[in-house]
Order: sequence, then C-alpha cells, then structure tokens
Amino acid sequence: MSELFRGARRPTIAGVGTTAQGELPGQGANQIAVAAIKLALHDAGLRPADIDGLITCKNLRSNIGTDEQIAMLAGLNPKYSATLDYGTGNFSLHLAAMAIAAGLAETIVLCYGTNQRSARKPFGTPVGGGADFQRVSGLVHVAGPAALAFNRHSHLYGTTSEQLGWVSVAQREWAAMNPLAIFRDLLTIDDYLNMPIWVEPLRRPDLTMISDGGAALVLTTAERAKHLAKTPVYVAGMAEQTALRGDQNADNLLRPWLAQVAQRLWASAGIGPPDVDVLFIQDATSVWVLQMLEWFGFCGIGESGAFVADGNTRPGGSLPVNTNGGQLSEAYMWGWLHLAEGIRQLRGEAGSRQVEGAQITVDCSSHDFLKGAASVLTTLEQL
Amino acid sequence: MSHPGGLPLPDLSDPINAPHWEGLNHGRLLVQRCLECGRARWRPAEICPTCWTPGGEWIDFPARGQLYSATVYRRAMAPGFKDHVPYAVGLVELAEEIRMVGRLTSTEPPPVGTTMTGAFLHVSADFTLLAWRPVAE
Repeated sequence: MSELFRGARRPTIAGVGTTAQGELPGQGANQIAVAAIKLALHDAGLRPADIDGLITCKNLRSNIGTDEQIAMLAGLNPKYSATLDYGTGNFSLHLAAMAIAAGLAETIVLCYGTNQRSARKPFGTPVGGGADFQRVSGLVHVAGPAALAFNRHSHLYGTTSEQLGWVSVAQREWAAMNPLAIFRDLLTIDDYLNMPIWVEPLRRPDLTMISDGGAALVLTTAERAKHLAKTPVYVAGMAEQTALRGDQNADNLLRPWLAQVAQRLWASAGIGPPDVDVLFIQDATSVWVLQMLEWFGFCGIGESGAFVADGNTRPGGSLPVNTNGGQLSEAYMWGWLHLAEGIRQLRGEAGSRQVEGAQITVDCSSHDFLKGAASVLTTLEQL
Repeated sequence: MSHPGGLPLPDLSDPINAPHWEGLNHGRLLVQRCLECGRARWRPAEICPTCWTPGGEWIDFPARGQLYSATVYRRAMAPGFKDHVPYAVGLVELAEEIRMVGRLTSTEPPPVGTTMTGAFLHVSADFTLLAWRPVAE
C-alpha cells in the first residue's frame, strides 16, 4: 500500500456539490462550475477564503473552463491552480491528491461545469486520433468504435445484444431512485430490444445523452477533514494508464490496458474486487461497463455479458454498479457524478438507493481509447 | 461500386497525408517505411514512431487483411452522413501490424476473420475512398 494514503496528509474528500443536470439555458459553463463550487464549499462547511487550490477542466474542444477564467469569476487567488484539458473526475482527483501530498496546497476545490447541450456542441466527431481517416470512413461518434469493440467481444465470447441491454436496464432501475437523474422512467429489456438500432447493435440507451451541469469536490488533508462538517471520505488508492498510441495498439478497441490500471489500483489500496461495496464505471457507452467489469476483475474475461444479464449490477444484486444511473441515465458529466454518488453512498446520504453499509467504492473512468484512471474511496480510516 | 457524394473529405493538401491520398486515386495503397529501422507505419507521420528517424519512403502496401470487427451505421451520427446510411465500417488488420479502419462495400458485413481486399471507390475527380470487401467477392 502506498504511503501517500496514510497519515495526517492523506488526501481526503470533505465536500461535494452538484448542480441541476440536463438543460441549463442562459448559463455559461464557467458560471455553472462556480455554482458547483459554492455547493461543495457549503457541503464542507468552508468559506471561499479557506480554499488555497483550484483545479478546473476545459469543456470538450474549447478553451472554456480554465483556472484563469474560473478564479477570476469566483474572485479567488489560490496558492496552486491548474487546468486539465480532459478532466474526468478521476484525472482531476488524482492531480489534486498529488498537489496535497506535495504540500502545494491544503484545501483544493476541483470542478467541472458545462453547457455543452445548450451550446449544441458537436459530438459526432471521430474519437482517438487519425480523425481524417476515421471521418472519411464514416467512423464518427463514440458509438462507432464502441460498436466495433462490442462486436469483437461478441465474436470472441458470444456476448449478445440482449446482455448488453441489461447494462442500461439495470442503471435505469438505479436512476429511478435518483432525483438528480435526467432519465428516471423504468426501461424494460423488451422496451430496449424494441428500440431502433443506431449503430449495430447499439441503441439510444447505450449512449450518453449530452447534457449541461456542474460538479465540484473539496479535497483536503485527513487532519483537516476531521474538523469539518461531513464524514471524511479518504482516497485509498489510485492508478492510471495511457494508450496514447491509439488504434495502432493491438486490440485497442477492447482496451486491454485497463487491466494495468486495475492491477496498480488494487496494489495501491491493498484491496481486491471482493472488497468493493459499490462500483462506478464512467459510461460514455454501455460497452465501457462490460469492458471495465472484466479488466478490473469483477468477472472473468468474456463473462461480463452474462454477469450483467444475471442481475448482479441491479438494485439488490451482488455488485451495485452506477447507483446514480451512470451517464446513460443520470447525466453526461465525465465521471464527476459517479464520484459524487460514491461519496454520498459512503456517507449514507443516497436515499432510497443507499447500499447498506457501503464502506469502499471504486471509480473507473476513461478518456475513450486513450487513457484510463481509477480510484478507491473509503470511510475506513485504517484502509 | 460507386460512392455517394457529400462525404466530409479529408484535407488533401496536408503534406503529411497527401502522397497517400494521391496513391488511392491510382488504385495504390501507399504507406511509409522507415529508412533507418525498416518498419512500415500507419498513419503517415513526420517521423518513425519506433526509432524517431525523420522522413521515410512511400511504398506500395498490399491492400489485404483480416476483418477484426465491423458495424453498420443505421443512423447518421454526424452531419454529412444522412445520404450514406445504412453503411458499414470495419477494422482490418493488414501485414506488419498495420490496422486500418475503413468503409465496407456491403451493409451486410462478412464474419470477423474474413480475408478482405481493398476496393478503390472514386468519389470525385481528386478523391478516392479505400473501402474493403471479402477477397472471394
């Protein structure tokens, strides 16, 4: 287990804030980010003057969301600040944890705000490099490579589109209990199978709907968090791996390098898959859920379809997954809302979707076919 | 097989990719081979990603490989593809660890593992699309 996750300076989440999700017309992305910061500070019982670090992230393919813009808007002069180009919750969390461990700051607020739906940002673009070659072939939108990945998996292991459908069905059952979720009407497997196919075999529920929203976290030291308003949530492990060479890596559609994230994650936290109470998987597409379940060792390689179809990830199942509804049902927030939900589960604040006795959560996220990151969060001081 | 127009065309003037696009117009698949380490590379680039030697020579590469996976777009997922759906896309594994995504000529993709060969579809006077079909077809 890493020394980073022990002692008085252990990175610890003291606050979480989430704005309304969906459509926030008339609000800029930075304004939404500051609204989330305000909520996170209030949650932690802190004032703006208590913040000495700021980590922001840009909106997709834009220059909106920099630390300079957000600090100016919020009137902050933090000791330390940084901006990530693609700040999925985990990547921002890891940077913040490093800054605290290095003593650059004591209390960092990390945030993401987007108005990508109201601003009609184009998402039908190629992902993962070689855009000219992908676009001219028609391999546009993340649905294309996700479908290729699923069909390869199906060829190798016999995974069916009905099994895939259970990812969305199970997450919708969780979302139905989450007031923050955009999609709360139950979806049956028959509903799913009767929907038109968009990119074979993917259907509408297999893909994130583009939405507006904001989220923020407050990260501080374990010592400081003890004296704040809420139950401290400790970072107990983290790991990353890139595959920046993209589609020239063998089997890159299947993202086998996620197994390296998993291996280092378990080593850094000193736990394994059976120890996890609630699992969060950033789900730009439902296919990502199948891949992560396998590479992180929650089921065998090739067994994720049956694992999901057997109901393991549903309410009452053996491994609650994406109890917020995930991006497929809750909102498209680059994994930030998965972190927020994990924190609320660990604090016992998850209402009717609360997983009894949740003490350890794992968050798995990825930047399409290029980067993976994962974190272990816990309320257990000794972990 | 002809190809419907309206495709979002690549930047044919980009000097890095231009020889490749020009090769397709003549029914040739051109890729770069490093003059230092001898590795063929895809996609075109200023330097060899293996030994970082600048440049490289353009060589004729066999437009032949195994279908790794395929899908069919039934809905246009980006502007410019409305007149194209349904269409199929696949990933083909060529020799020397080169992997290419490309349009398939049929909207009923052959099984994974099928040996595919290149089909050069003339889209316009200055652009030819490399698509893939089973060798037996």
